[in-house]
Amino acid sequence: MIKRLMAVDGVMAVCHFRDDGALVEGYGMPAGEQLVGLAKFAHDYKRMVQGNADQLAMFTQVNGWTPPGGWIVRGPAMAVCSVGNMVCVMDNNSGSLNEVMQELAEAARW
Amino acid sequence: MNIINELAAMSGVIAAGEYSYRGDRFTYAGQLDEEKARMASIMCRATTMAVHMQTDMMKSLNDDCGCAPARGWIVKGGNVSVCVVANVFCFIDSNSASLNEIVKTMRDKVPNQDGQLI
Amino acid sequence: MADLEKLIKLEHAQAAFKFSPSGELLEHRITAGSGLTATMLDLLSHVCVANMSIASMQARGWENMTGMQGFYPIEGFTLIGFDWTAVANGEYGVVLPNGQVDYEQAYAALAS
Repeated sequence: MIKRLMAVDGVMAVCHFRDDGALVEGYGMPAGEQLVGLAKFAHDYKRMVQGNADQLAMFTQVNGWTPPGGWIVRGPAMAVCSVGNMVCVMDNNSGSLNEVMQELAEAARW
Repeated sequence: MNIINELAAMSGVIAAGEYSYRGDRFTYAGQLDEEKARMASIMCRATTMAVHMQTDMMKSLNDDCGCAPARGWIVKGGNVSVCVVANVFCFIDSNSASLNEIVKTMRDKVPNQDGQLI
Repeated sequence: MADLEKLIKLEHAQAAFKFSPSGELLEHRITAGSGLTATMLDLLSHVCVANMSIASMQARGWENMTGMQGFYPIEGFTLIGFDWTAVANGEYGVVLPNGQVDYEQAYAALAS
């Protein structure tokens, strides 16, 4: 199912990871090991963002931050975006961040 | 005497505690109340998770850099510092505690954490 | 202000480095035979800056909520790795072997 995310403009790779960081399914990276690395990174980063959002909620006593819905790390040419247990790598110049996030959110509900 | 009580009894130590990597429990001893110890556990656990991710990533990006798996970390504040080894934390008064002694005690007595943090 | 030439002469120092507020490695010295590289020190610099930044958020939040002062401003961050320890303070850091770290001496040298 997640293969169809590869059809979204700008998406270079996509993967679905388990709660322990293991790769469930992935496309777009040249080697299998890179997809495993992307899954592990996304899992670890999700956990870190979650930890920081929890602390923000704890210190501000405002609940609107947790649990976090997703995250984006944006570089000059590429971005890594994640929602739930889905993550994708995108090319900033050929894709729309809004569209990718919307598709990811939908895919995360499957 | 367990490591938490031993650390809490050391000179300059404000409090010591232990958190589970899953984030579902904590214990503590020293001059913190339950709520502050809970907050301290949440903060230390979050930083430990981040440090493990960072060192694992450094290792994978840079051969074996001698940094992973991480043993612990220290944050040095103006008057208070936090030392963490594995899942044990210690809040110390920077002016009256011996950082070397405290970290040595922690490194000697707290077992290494490897693999999944559970 | 710390000085890399002095820092690399710290007992057992394997590397000394200076980084920008955003974590880029600006200058470094590496002891011959240590096996450390500039690439690794650049990554390490980013780790130190990231953790000092998160620690600042924690210190702010902690002090606001508990009224317990003394954390903020964050001065330094130490990573106790598997073989190496990196001690960073301000914009400088040193790398020492785990078994031969004098944290107090390192922080004093970095702050001087």
